[in-house]
Amino acid sequence: MSEQVWAYSGSGEVQCELMSAALELAEKSGRSAVAVELGRQREEVVAQSRLVVKGAGDDPLPEVAAEALTRAARSRHPSTILVGATRNGREVASRVAARLGWPCLSEASKLSIDGAQLQANRTVFAGKVVATVSCGLPAVVTIKPAFYPKSTASGKEVDEFDAGELTGVVKLLSRRKKEAGAVDLRKAKAIVSAGRGVKRKEDLPMLQSLAEELGGALGCSRPLSSDLGWLPEECHIGLTGVTVKPDLYVAVGISGQLQHIAGMKDSKVVVAVNTDKDAPIFQASDYGIVADLYQVVPAIKKALESRR
Amino acid sequence: MVLLAAAYIVTYAVSLLSAAAIFATVFVRSRRASAGLGAGRLLELTREEARRSISGDPVFLMHASIALGVGVSIAEVVLAPVLPALFALRILLLAVSVPATAGLAVAFAWRVQRFVQSKSVERSLHTTGAFSSASTRMQGILMVAIALTASELVVAWLPAFALVDAAVSIVRNSLVVAYYVGPTVNLISRVGTRLPSVETPFVLSDIMSGKVDASTVRSGVGDYPDFSPKESLSFDSCVEIGACEASCPATAAGRPLSPRVLMRKLSLHSDAGGEGGPFAVVGEDELWSCTSCGACVSSCPVGVKHLDIVYDLRRDLVARGKLDKEKAGMLENLARSQNPYGFKQSDRAKWAEGLGVQTASESSRAEYVYWVGCVASFDQRAQRVARSMAKIMKSAGVSFAILGQDEACVGDPARRLGEEGRYQELVYQNVEKLNSLGAKKVVTTCPHCFNSLKNEYPRFGGEYEVVHHTQLISDLVRSGRLKVPPDRVREVSVTLHDACYASRYNNIFDEPREALGSSVSDVREMKRNGEKTFCCGAGGSNYWFKVPEQRTISGIRAKEAAETGAKAVATECPFCLSMLEDSSKVMGTGMEVRDVAEIVADAVP
Amino acid sequence: MRIAVCVKHAIDETELKTGPGGRPVLEGAACKVSVFDKNAVEEALRMRSAQGGEVVAFTIGSEDARKSLKEALAMGADRGVLVVGAQASLDTGRTARTIAAAVKKEGAFDVVLCSEGSSDTYSGQVPPMLAEALGTAYVGYARKIQLEGGKAKVERLLEDSVEEVEAPMPVVVSVVSEINEPRYPTLIQIMQASKKPVQEIPESQLAVDPGSSPVAVLGMSVQTSSRKRVIIEGGPEDAAAKLIQELEKEGVLR
Ligand SMILES: Cc1cc2nc3c(=O)[nH]c(=O)nc-3n(C[C@H](O)[C@H](O)[C@H](O)COP(=O)(O)OP(=O)(O)OC[C@H]3O[C@@H](n4cnc5c(N)ncnc54)[C@H](O)[C@@H]3O)c2cc1C
Ligand code: SF4
Ligand code: SF4
Repeated sequence: MSEQVWAYSGSGEVQCELMSAALELAEKSGRSAVAVELGRQREEVVAQSRLVVKGAGDDPLPEVAAEALTRAARSRHPSTILVGATRNGREVASRVAARLGWPCLSEASKLSIDGAQLQANRTVFAGKVVATVSCGLPAVVTIKPAFYPKSTASGKEVDEFDAGELTGVVKLLSRRKKEAGAVDLRKAKAIVSAGRGVKRKEDLPMLQSLAEELGGALGCSRPLSSDLGWLPEECHIGLTGVTVKPDLYVAVGISGQLQHIAGMKDSKVVVAVNTDKDAPIFQASDYGIVADLYQVVPAIKKALESRR
Repeated sequence: MVLLAAAYIVTYAVSLLSAAAIFATVFVRSRRASAGLGAGRLLELTREEARRSISGDPVFLMHASIALGVGVSIAEVVLAPVLPALFALRILLLAVSVPATAGLAVAFAWRVQRFVQSKSVERSLHTTGAFSSASTRMQGILMVAIALTASELVVAWLPAFALVDAAVSIVRNSLVVAYYVGPTVNLISRVGTRLPSVETPFVLSDIMSGKVDASTVRSGVGDYPDFSPKESLSFDSCVEIGACEASCPATAAGRPLSPRVLMRKLSLHSDAGGEGGPFAVVGEDELWSCTSCGACVSSCPVGVKHLDIVYDLRRDLVARGKLDKEKAGMLENLARSQNPYGFKQSDRAKWAEGLGVQTASESSRAEYVYWVGCVASFDQRAQRVARSMAKIMKSAGVSFAILGQDEACVGDPARRLGEEGRYQELVYQNVEKLNSLGAKKVVTTCPHCFNSLKNEYPRFGGEYEVVHHTQLISDLVRSGRLKVPPDRVREVSVTLHDACYASRYNNIFDEPREALGSSVSDVREMKRNGEKTFCCGAGGSNYWFKVPEQRTISGIRAKEAAETGAKAVATECPFCLSMLEDSSKVMGTGMEVRDVAEIVADAVP
Repeated sequence: MRIAVCVKHAIDETELKTGPGGRPVLEGAACKVSVFDKNAVEEALRMRSAQGGEVVAFTIGSEDARKSLKEALAMGADRGVLVVGAQASLDTGRTARTIAAAVKKEGAFDVVLCSEGSSDTYSGQVPPMLAEALGTAYVGYARKIQLEGGKAKVERLLEDSVEEVEAPMPVVVSVVSEINEPRYPTLIQIMQASKKPVQEIPESQLAVDPGSSPVAVLGMSVQTSSRKRVIIEGGPEDAAAKLIQELEKEGVLR
């Protein structure tokens, strides 16, 4: 068995995160970390060592990517293949595991190797429970994006593998960027939610940019969309709006009426900013700041920026 | 001269026949619709008509004047040959015909105004041209009938025009036979079964016990033959009087619903073959717009029961899975958590923490079961109502207990939305609990719970003495058990928002006012109060979803409240509280909104 | 058109209890149909109403899993297949091979529908693995499916792009929740569903390959989820800085 830990993602950004995971794992177990690239080397990928698999073309569909990886693995025998758990990545990992007959760990965060056993943490039950799972090597693992930092270790080592001709049964007819503006709050990892504590529509960009700084989206309480029309309907969270479960929910100037709480009560961490110390939102929050949002929000933004 | 006499005799005979035809057709069709024509029934009908016309309701004034006018004019024609000889009778008929003529004049004016408004409603609902002309024709006939009756009453006093009088009477009587016999029969058949009764499409226990095969159960109406004969008679009876449209909150808010248009669309479409079923002419949001406030049913002078039809069509939508996320989500919450919010039932009694309130299983001998309802159990604002009620009962020494987590949703939101099965499941669950505890008296702070428990639960084996909290409070005040010291009576003006399900559905008018009067100095009335109250917009399950509208129903009501000049609005329903508090903020009326129980509890030491 | 739809009888995370040592109590934990699977069932029903045919729902689990099948049947599926055996928890490969064996046993299907991921584990691996095991085409994350002339034209919703692809039938498709609004089955429909046929297949009858190395669960611990209700004191700058520190510890900042 070769001593390599492979990392593959169709997204360059995620690929860099995977390299961190691969390096960590490789170091712990005396193996080496290799970034697998399909078709060509991507500039945005930073890695010490690469394997470029020829034959798949650029940006292949997951079916083809999986076959390319499978052929490469059959010939080079890596011990582990890490794949970013993006939508396409999940398909690639599943197919590679099925074709190679390897076990597959999914949505892993903390990876470690214990002898011939691979071990990982992952959350289950909507983030309520952390499970520790393991399997024998060789194995395929999908890694939760945004858990590992991007690796900066660079190098020039490049190897090539020709996978031969690769075709799939699924045909790509068109590919386009997603429509802008259509935010899906249900999928956002962080949400800044604006309530009637916000005085004017013109103040919303302040909250929007906080949301962006946190890598999330802007939502609101019902009055802001339904009564005031400051934000589109699909932004309103609660009983009559969308139900969300982000990792971070920041309620700004929201009193926390039950109809609103009903839509965000399963968020992982809730932060509230409100001038009223008795506002019910504080009962439903992990962290509360009793102060004027017009002072606190810019302060949070500054603190976030200085953290970078 | 001879010719004239002959013409007169013939006309007179025809006119007598036409009058007789009215009574004959009413009689025959009533028999056919098995709408008993018993004296008791007719008496009750007359009493109700008289009461509402005296109260100055223009619709009923119009209706009574027409009935009276038609009656008098028929009598005049019938008695024409002998009338000149009977002076006393002449005076009597005159005495009756003068107010009847005046009433008809008022009715005509009201009618013209309704006509104009109906056309503007039709424009905003984008009804078809064919519909609008059919509607214009129907309204035209009504106005002609009114005009004919009025002119007949006048002409009757000019002996020279006896022939004309008889001729007019023939035309009018023919119109009555052609258009108004069905509605009359409908009205008679509806005596005693208007509000608050709801048709029960099936009984769950029969299905559970295997008496009825589940696969044969159909709930809801997807095609015209599925309507019960009573329902078909109901919408076919609509003669476009327009009273429902005038009082409908959904129409007033610019929602895509007018009860008049809905009834007439069904009637015209089914008459024309009904291709594609009712949903070919009725929209989904049209049905979801209804708040079940009952204003239409209560105001319809010919006894059309719009609500049965709305519920049956909604049931079909539910059965076909035509629900958006809010509606389906609410029903799923009911199925999973037994409350429409989806909160844990174990948190249901949290509002009572630290108050020393007992649950019924702890103290089975309490006089009252306090039925808290979902809103007052879970909504932080409404929890204050529950706490206030607990304080009042403790202060007055009323022994009571709550069911705590054993209290499931009463079922009202499921039933009004059209999910009858889920409704009955909740009912059976609650009935079993209440019966196992031997509950006799139930008090509740929610009119929707009150209405279900009082009027609907008996059908499913739950018979209790149910009181609304305003009734209990006024009782306690009257009997002196609850004492408000004079120095604690607040100097403030308050206007009461009658909840539809308390007032219109259940005739609770005086008690909340008495209760309020014990604790505040000035109780004012809004223009629409009592049985003519205007909905807050939450009923009919509307609290749980959104409907397209041009303005909010609660906003209209908040403005009416503000027009009284009062400083505060008192509510008697946790839904009303939530709606009106929200809209008072949005409309910036600056009015405080509080439940009657909160206001009284504040005044009790 | 024969349509198979996979539904998972998943542990209901909202009802999950914590046992000694902070471990979740899985034994006898309340289960319900995995929420996104309803979108798959809904899509199957829409396909049936457009094309005619039959919708068969598949699940794996104990007798309790009949509840989830019943939900699919109440929504309108024609019949159900219950593979009686233990849920293979986090071994997605094994789960996929088991379903594949059951689906094959029921004959040829034109379309096999799954959801993007289950509500309990959300790995998103069973659908592609199922296609591998069945040897059919696979398209993931569909938000629109058109069936025409033996082909499925599918719009895929990815993180930042939308793809239109075409796959030959038979095909396994996983759908995203945006694809439709699943219908709510009424109580009467649920009662009627008890009359619909459900076939039980013991897992042992399917002779599923256990795989080279099974995925094992070594331990589970419940994240404490009740709100902390910490009020952060201080002026805006101080409070903001403290907040960021806390959020960093929580691991919710990017
Ligand atoms: C049938 C129905 C359904 C509903 N459904 C929903 C729903 O789905 N979603 C929803 O959100 N609402 C819903 N509502 C409305 C809900 O009841 C509340 O009215 C609403 O959530 C309140 O919104 P808010 O918190 O933004 O406003 P408010 O309750 O007015 O609260 C504003 C808050 O901002 C604070 N504040 C003011 N100024 C500042 C400042 N400078 N800095 C910091 N804080 C400040 C105040 O202290 C206050 O707590 C529904 C209501 C009804 C009746
Ligand atoms: S019940 Fe009320 S809302 Fe519904 S149609 Fe009648 S008047 Fe309108
Ligand atoms: S919520 Fe209040 S006003 Fe409105 S239907 Fe009920 S009782 Fe009507």
